[in-house]
Amino acid sequence: MTHDDDHDLDETTLHAYVDGQLDPARAAAVADRLLRHPRAAQQVLAWREQRESLQALHREWLDEPIPPRLTAALRPEAANAPRWPRAWAAALLLTVGVGTGLAGGWGGHAWWHAKQEAAERASAEAAARAAGRDPSVPDYVRDAAIAHAVYQPEQRHPVEVGADQADHLIQWLSKRLGQPLHAPVLRDYGWKLVGGRLLPAGDDAAPGAPLARAQFMYENETGERFTLYVSTGARSPEAPVAFRLTRRVEAGQTTRSLYWIDGTLAYALSGNFDEKRLRILADLVHARIGMADRLPVKPPAS
Amino acid sequence: MTVVLEEALPLLPRLRRHARLLCGDTARADDLLQDTLERAARKGALFHAEPGPTRQDALRNWLLTLMHRLYLNQRRDAREALHDSLDEEDTAQPLVHEPQQQVALRLDLERALAALPAAAREILLLVCVEELSYQDAARVLDVPVGTVMSRLSRARERLRQSMSGGEAGRAPLRVVK
Repeated sequence: MTHDDDHDLDETTLHAYVDGQLDPARAAAVADRLLRHPRAAQQVLAWREQRESLQALHREWLDEPIPPRLTAALRPEAANAPRWPRAWAAALLLTVGVGTGLAGGWGGHAWWHAKQEAAERASAEAAARAAGRDPSVPDYVRDAAIAHAVYQPEQRHPVEVGADQADHLIQWLSKRLGQPLHAPVLRDYGWKLVGGRLLPAGDDAAPGAPLARAQFMYENETGERFTLYVSTGARSPEAPVAFRLTRRVEAGQTTRSLYWIDGTLAYALSGNFDEKRLRILADLVHARIGMADRLPVKPPAS
Repeated sequence: MTVVLEEALPLLPRLRRHARLLCGDTARADDLLQDTLERAARKGALFHAEPGPTRQDALRNWLLTLMHRLYLNQRRDAREALHDSLDEEDTAQPLVHEPQQQVALRLDLERALAALPAAAREILLLVCVEELSYQDAARVLDVPVGTVMSRLSRARERLRQSMSGGEAGRAPLRVVK
């Protein structure tokens, strides 16, 4: 086969070029030839625009909740399993006790006072704007990105409690946050739990809510890390079930965070990789946490 | 087997959109996806893939294969393999929080996509939206790669024509973002 112009710019090649199916060297060669062939270049541009507009078509559907009948189709026996969080919390209450620390958060469940909400939101938004922040991004997400930037590069002490004591870690953080937490197992995707740490809540903590936040850190074989930050009682204008993305630059590194609220817990997943990878991870983490919530009750290790 | 089921959960939003764009109707799409997932749950043992970064792609491709096989069977059953039914009354999903112009444009694309023959819609969704390789798309549809190429080429041209009112060589569509 010759690699003259005609061959490199035949229709099949141009389709493959648009669809990213050529190896990098070949793609570079095609790109080079396109500079000298405006008609072919225009064709490529049109196909690429068509491709991108198809990709954008109803992207918002991706954020819609999946109807239960579809998840049930995957796991029919899960339908009548007892709900995990409440039973787990009760067990935790009995075995661990809540005398210490932030008992207020337990009894209260008082992080969401509807009456105060509107006024507080307005003043918080004004304050955020004054501080040059985007008021549509909850403060806890900013805290999560900062905590990620601080601990992600840490070699000697990335976490307080390592994954070798995973049960203890989860129980401890659950107790301090006043909610049963889950650190999803992602080993089959190449991510292992490094461990976790307790962090102080920012100044946006709702009245009566625990002043503690949790951060779990994961690492893959190549040493990449992401963190999962969990907050109770974070204030946000509305609880997004959908994933939202935010980006900030800390210490010269771009940290992207996807955040969502699931029940009474608010999550932010932060990493230094592109949006696509982050979304896949967030989908996975969200689903695994959901699965853990549906697991039958097992007594916590004492 | 449980592993497979649990792993499929993060894929559901994409698969659901895929089904909805394929069927052009939410109720039919959800039925198609439910059939797909039930079949997957029954046949979970048939799915083999190494753990690792490519595993989720392999799972997605397997589920897409099941879905497209079912979709093809449906069309055969309905004897509409050639004339894919297009219900004019198919209501577009409510589009919220979007500037007017984008809505109008998107509906055009959505209608144009829905009006394509099913085979053209399948190939565009698999290659452009789900970004499958030509080989993977060929496997999902159970056709040779050459067929994927010729269908793709025709589908692109048809979509362009129907969005430019049938005129040849008009300005390409604008990107919706």
